[in-house]
Amino acid sequence: MDFDFSPEEQKFADEVEAWLVENHDPEVMDPTRENFSQLSDTPERRAFMKKLAKKGWLGMSWPKEYGGQEIEGVYEFILNEALARHAAPQIGKGVGIIGKTLIRHGSEKLKKEFLPRILAAEIEFAVGYSEPEAGSDAANMQLKAEKVDGGWKLNGQKMWTTSAHFADWYWVGARTDPDKPKHDGISLFLIPMDHPGLEVQSLPTVGKDTTNQVFFEDVFVPDDYLVGKRGQGFQMISEALDLERFTMFTLSPITERTRVLVDWVKTAERDDKPLREDPKVRSLIANIVTDTAVSKALSTRFVCAAMAGGKPPTIQSSQYKLFTTTLSQRVCDEAMDITGPAATIREGQDEAPIRGRFEGAYRATMNETVGGGSSEIQKNIIARRHLGLPKNF
Amino acid sequence: MDLELTEEQQMIKDMAAALLEEHSSKEIVRSVENDPKGYPDALWKHMAESGLTGLLIPESHGGGGQTLVEAVLVYEEIGRTMAPTPHFVSAVLGAGMLLEAGSEDQQSEWLSKIASGDAILSPAWLEPDRGFGPLGVKLAARADGDDYLLSGVKRHVNYASSADRLVVLARSDTGIELLLVDPSDAGVTLRQVLSASGEPHYQVEFDQVRVPGSARLGAPGTGWDTFSRVLHDGLLLQAAQAIGGAAKALEETVEYAKVRKQFDKPLGAFQALAHYMADASTHIDGGRALVHEAAWNRAQGRPITRFAPMAKLFATNTYQDVTRTCAQIWGGVAFTIEYDIQMFFRRAKEMQLSWWDVPYLEELIAGEVLDG
Repeated sequence: MDFDFSPEEQKFADEVEAWLVENHDPEVMDPTRENFSQLSDTPERRAFMKKLAKKGWLGMSWPKEYGGQEIEGVYEFILNEALARHAAPQIGKGVGIIGKTLIRHGSEKLKKEFLPRILAAEIEFAVGYSEPEAGSDAANMQLKAEKVDGGWKLNGQKMWTTSAHFADWYWVGARTDPDKPKHDGISLFLIPMDHPGLEVQSLPTVGKDTTNQVFFEDVFVPDDYLVGKRGQGFQMISEALDLERFTMFTLSPITERTRVLVDWVKTAERDDKPLREDPKVRSLIANIVTDTAVSKALSTRFVCAAMAGGKPPTIQSSQYKLFTTTLSQRVCDEAMDITGPAATIREGQDEAPIRGRFEGAYRATMNETVGGGSSEIQKNIIARRHLGLPKNF
Repeated sequence: MDLELTEEQQMIKDMAAALLEEHSSKEIVRSVENDPKGYPDALWKHMAESGLTGLLIPESHGGGGQTLVEAVLVYEEIGRTMAPTPHFVSAVLGAGMLLEAGSEDQQSEWLSKIASGDAILSPAWLEPDRGFGPLGVKLAARADGDDYLLSGVKRHVNYASSADRLVVLARSDTGIELLLVDPSDAGVTLRQVLSASGEPHYQVEFDQVRVPGSARLGAPGTGWDTFSRVLHDGLLLQAAQAIGGAAKALEETVEYAKVRKQFDKPLGAFQALAHYMADASTHIDGGRALVHEAAWNRAQGRPITRFAPMAKLFATNTYQDVTRTCAQIWGGVAFTIEYDIQMFFRRAKEMQLSWWDVPYLEELIAGEVLDG
């Protein structure tokens, strides 16, 4: 049993920490984005990602022949938590989902075209899985890919493509084989985001960022931009999720949010008395701190399970996601309760304590228990795969 | 980072599990509920012979010299089997206070006997209508020459009828003292008060009980500090025990949910119920990891003033919540004595309210976080 990082891991953590302090940039590292700095489309962010690339910190777990360092995923976990703690953009889906899937299943042509540019942070990706009829039922995607001479013609619609409005390439699941069982009829494609026939429509969210719906009208994709084998799309999507367990949902934004709350409570007054003497406030803080410690313990569980190799740590990861996203929202909710009447002042105004940090966070975290597999989907996974309960839907 | 147990830790855990399963079966546990003595001799004897009673006592005093990491593994098994034993009051708290504050003479008189299971100590701490903190300790220790004269009432003194010594928390002119008192001494009266769990609790009355100054553990007025430090270690074991109980209650419920059918489907096929169980497993696995992290930190010599109350708070809240949920899944039978889930249900609530309750633990944590 050992709950510390190894000396090598700790050395890396210290190096990252020092580098982030040295390279602090308030434009790029904005705590009020609450874990979503990577969704901000600014030249500063792109430049920051290139700096990370230059440090060699993108694709560290990739095989050496593709420019990686073949080191354990725990280093990416350390890096991503540090980035999140500093509210910097995280390492993201290029090196994760897309890079790792291409390495395992991509053609030589696609590897050559994309992998070096992913490592150099030269490409922004958008990922298109969800559709109006494929939310939690992800395998129900209906975007139609019709075989035509030399390639495929795509028609239909995607939902919740968060970075579609600034991405360079679209990583998209589409139904190539409608007669096969729904999990076996999906293929993955790479499409330039500025392709004629693709229309991106913004869907502003209650948080800071916009998401998008994307419409396809006769979008032609050449044969060699179908990734891997035809009909294997859903299997690759699931596999990529498992490969990404190290970097999925960072805990640091919650611990940072709690730290900000505690620092504020320590100095705040209400009715001329120190707020920290209020028994109700003390109780709320005690439980937030305790549950944050449980989240960290759950995160240690899945990191250790992932490092042990063998089966992907699906159960540990589901438990962590379920507990942590629920806690994340609760921290915002209770922080607003603790803040009192001023908590309702919209974020960004000086009249509010901590410039309305928790009002903003309350909105920004609203989607955490839905996106990336809703809490109910996580519970289904735990019930069936961990407890062995019968299929229940 | 690594959550694996060493070979020795795994051996201790397996040994404890096998021993407790055999000597603390549900039939045995049921048979000693509300019993004045409250624990089976065979269980205690085997715990002693296998070294469990001496687990945390240094080898120089005949114990196993293990750390809290090994102890939480054993306590999870104690929780799973609901083993009725004076281990916690004697081999953890009693021995802990002696180790923390006892003189060499006191240590050599008692520790090896506690390690071998031949002696039992139990703290006499709580009092009627008083709380969990130092203010709650009112029982008077009036100085009389070199002696103290004790007068007052203690409650929730576990296994007092089997105790060779009570460690009485008493208030003197200098503060709170820890005094070793023989419960058969003149002026000490024991009366069993039945408890929710069925564990033997005693009300102990002290009427002008004369105790020599040499029976005090540590310097005058240091009793609460000693007790509090030792109980912080104890909190981790209470937490581990609660996690064990919750885990076992959930396992039994999951098995039931696979076979019991309503509307032609097993209960576990209803999402409403499956999701309860998924939540329960998440809390149990998270709580266990937190307990292990806390115990590991303690074994590294790091402070656990924040970890310990967090672990006990979360684990006993989880135990209470999980057993309530499990009872809901069992349905009507949960309410009958015949079925076992009520045994966990009652113990969970008692654990949540024993050895510092929710408000007290929250206050300890808040103090660490807000007042530092």
